Amino acid sequence: MATATSHQSIVSFASHRSFSSSSSTISQCLLREPFLNLPISKGFKIDSSLSCNITSKRRNFCKVEAMASQTETSVSYDNTLLSPSKNIPDISQKKTNEAALILIRHGESLWNEKNLFTGCVDVPLTEKGVEEAIEAGKRISNIPVDVIFTSSLIRAQMTAMLAMIQHRRKKVPIILHDESEQAKTWSQVFSDETKSQSIPVIPTWQLNERMYGELQGLNKQETAERYGKQQVHEWRRSYDIPPPKGESLEMCAERAVAYFQDNIEPKLAAGKNVMIAAHGNSLRSIIMYLDKLTCQEVISLELSTGIPLLYIFKEGKFMKRGSPVGPTEAGVYAYTKRLAQYRQKLEEDSEVLCS
Amino acid sequence: MASTTMSHQAIGSTVSHRPFRASQFLKEPLNVPMNFIPKRFKIEATASSQVSVIGNTVLSPSKNKPFESKKKSNEAALILIRHGESLWNEKNLFTGCVDVPLTQKGVGEAIEAGKKISNIPVDLIFTSSLIRAQMTAMLAMTQHRRKKVPIILHNESVKAKTWSHVFSEETRKQSIPVIAAWQLNERMYGELQGLNKKETAERYGTQQVHEWRRSYEIPPPKGESLEMCAERAVAYFEDNIKPELASGNNVMIAAHGNSLRSIIMYLDDLTSQEVTTLDLSTGIPLLYIFKEGKFMKRGSPVGPTEAGVYAYTKRLAQYREKLDEASLK
Repeated sequence: MATATSHQSIVSFASHRSFSSSSSTISQCLLREPFLNLPISKGFKIDSSLSCNITSKRRNFCKVEAMASQTETSVSYDNTLLSPSKNIPDISQKKTNEAALILIRHGESLWNEKNLFTGCVDVPLTEKGVEEAIEAGKRISNIPVDVIFTSSLIRAQMTAMLAMIQHRRKKVPIILHDESEQAKTWSQVFSDETKSQSIPVIPTWQLNERMYGELQGLNKQETAERYGKQQVHEWRRSYDIPPPKGESLEMCAERAVAYFQDNIEPKLAAGKNVMIAAHGNSLRSIIMYLDKLTCQEVISLELSTGIPLLYIFKEGKFMKRGSPVGPTEAGVYAYTKRLAQYRQKLEEDSEVLCS
Repeated sequence: MASTTMSHQAIGSTVSHRPFRASQFLKEPLNVPMNFIPKRFKIEATASSQVSVIGNTVLSPSKNKPFESKKKSNEAALILIRHGESLWNEKNLFTGCVDVPLTQKGVGEAIEAGKKISNIPVDLIFTSSLIRAQMTAMLAMTQHRRKKVPIILHNESVKAKTWSHVFSEETRKQSIPVIAAWQLNERMYGELQGLNKKETAERYGTQQVHEWRRSYEIPPPKGESLEMCAERAVAYFEDNIKPELASGNNVMIAAHGNSLRSIIMYLDDLTSQEVTTLDLSTGIPLLYIFKEGKFMKRGSPVGPTEAGVYAYTKRLAQYREKLDEASLK
């Protein structure tokens, strides 16, 4: 199973590394390691030879317990994201026991517009979807981002890239390629300085939209004609009934949450601020895990497109910081002190540049 | 250089010796062994799936839709678009095959490019495997008047192919397959990737750097020369893209400075001297007409509007006319 790839590891973000808590030497304590292209499962390539510990806990998402993953085999990327630069101390990178998690659902796609079931068909954004991504980016422009996870579908990847154009920190997202040895070699970065100004982006199929099987590409009318309205309604709204050759929400949740626990949560635990750009069903699945929702609750959970959700991960717990409903980002997210300081530094930094 | 031997590893399904009829993709009914259906979650470690289909054109002739004029026309349009500004262009860093996205300006350039080609038929899109080219293609196509939907094909595994299958023929007909191929990637810049010009000059000397950038056959350390880039780009073009044009499919290629120059060198029969001085504008599409085995350049649009810039063939003029009629309804 896909989560098995998390057991391939090169560098571990093990939490046994100690950091100075003094703010003036935070960044100096960070270890600099070479930028590594790690064999992360990208696209759909699964190494079936790796064993996987899927506990029975994972299967029953209706009673999910928070599992702070302490595994050392968690996948990790570039430690040098955080530059020991004196000008912009990355306060977010002292080993704080707090990390931000941003969830962004992509906006309108060309098939949304046409009212077709999309699932895992790789359909791009409309102009509206592009704008939604840019708007989303403005809302999170002051929240630190150290690593980005997306699905393997272009609409989520574009959403992430467009959103990050708005980010004030001006680090450069770089999509990691591990689909082959050549892909890894060819995408290597040879400057430490540049690496430290980069945000790794990891595309992964486990964050894909729920696979809709034989409904993919059909419009609602076709589908109702082919299968009957009641049946279609059941597929769309039930938790565990998959459409023909497709995934149920439960199956989607299984692979999405497993991925989150194995690959994303360890990063948060290590103090990395994470952004996930994905889809309605994969994100609901993750929210079900974060908020400990029941199956019933998750079915009726609707995520706005283009409006990011913010969670703070602290001491193994996920605290929702609100869904921004206002037109501006200020006052909408309940900032933690740490986030407020980060924002302040961004302000100071932009003043320095302007002076 | 070691990396060129990689081209012999089948990466995805685009093995260069086998013609890849992307156009047939959307017509294929799905024949998938049961163990790839998601219920099982049992994924076979599989060799890359080979979507090698040999066939004709994707659209069946339909009397209702004048656009489906896929009678085997002996003429096809080829659009080349170089992506616009990337975040490392802005910072003046050597990018090569590092997968860096577009800036706001680059996004704007892609949309502008799209407006310029909004009346030219597109049946297939080829991009590199880098997001800046893919985004350029997708953003450009949001401007296209025909309103077909680009769909990126996933052939990296049987599961990827299964999961991305489209189950409605009607929908398939309204789709434009998009094929991502590493062979269309920017020239791989080896140890210069991520370095800025100053760093590079310091590390290697100004003269040496100039030589790598401007010569035809001298690669930077662990990188590709323009010649090596051209070799894999043109081979891919000949094996996978040209047959589509020969079948009457209109093709758009969204790629990079060096991979596109390489292709243009092939299309225009340029010498290595000529190609090293060839500079492609970003965001300004080039149009070629492929007819009777020959590539005819239809000009580089220099005006702010697309009209009057491309020398339309009769077929293209008719296509545009149909778009106008359709929008009047």
